[in-house]
Amino acid sequence: MLFSPGWRGSVRQDELLAVFTLGLLFGGTLSATVLWLLSGLAEPLPSGARAWLVVAVAVLGALREFGLVRLPLPQNARQIPQEVLQTRLRRGTLQFGFELGTGVRTYVSASTPYVLALGLLLSHQGPLPSLLAGLAFGAGRALSAALTLWSRDPDRDAAIAARLPWITRLTALTLPTALALLALHPLP
Amino acid sequence: MQPLTAGRARRGLTEPLLPVAALALLAVAAAALDATVLCWTSVGALAGFALSGSV
Repeated sequence: MLFSPGWRGSVRQDELLAVFTLGLLFGGTLSATVLWLLSGLAEPLPSGARAWLVVAVAVLGALREFGLVRLPLPQNARQIPQEVLQTRLRRGTLQFGFELGTGVRTYVSASTPYVLALGLLLSHQGPLPSLLAGLAFGAGRALSAALTLWSRDPDRDAAIAARLPWITRLTALTLPTALALLALHPLP
Repeated sequence: MQPLTAGRARRGLTEPLLPVAALALLAVAAAALDATVLCWTSVGALAGFALSGSV
């Protein structure tokens, strides 16, 4: 959608990608800041219990992704309106990126972002890991858009759609593995 | 064997599963080495990339 040709022909697409990425990074950082502030509420729980609770959430996320557990996602069932991109293009793209980057302003259809959010909330990391995780969330979304632009593939949407189940399942499997390994080490 | 054209090379380099594999390895390796910050950063990137297809 963002890089579709036509009426945006006068604006360089790599410029749009840069602005979009900036918005995603802002959005991800904002959400991570909120999660970090709220994560203090989990502090009274013993660190070991918190770490394994995070693993349990990640396992649940993986089970959902493989269709073994039915779990509705508390996503904001709303699409960011197209008008955002049709008025001021650069500012609209920044807003579009920001809203996507927060992860709460539109559909979030995969389990992994919820595991990330609950993981940060429950594990009560320091500000650095929390903020970097939020920044990386935005960067991960930006990377997907960047690869779409760089591929110059007219059939990119079909390629993404074909691989999406693999992408979501591989990520969903990675999280419990990595977080269980982290849980073996005591939290600070 | 088909010749390696610029288009095919570009499609190969931008294969969506490549970042997933790289980030998954990074997350697990970081966790195994108790590199908490790097692990959570990789997990964040994976979570963002898992939403591919929505832009």
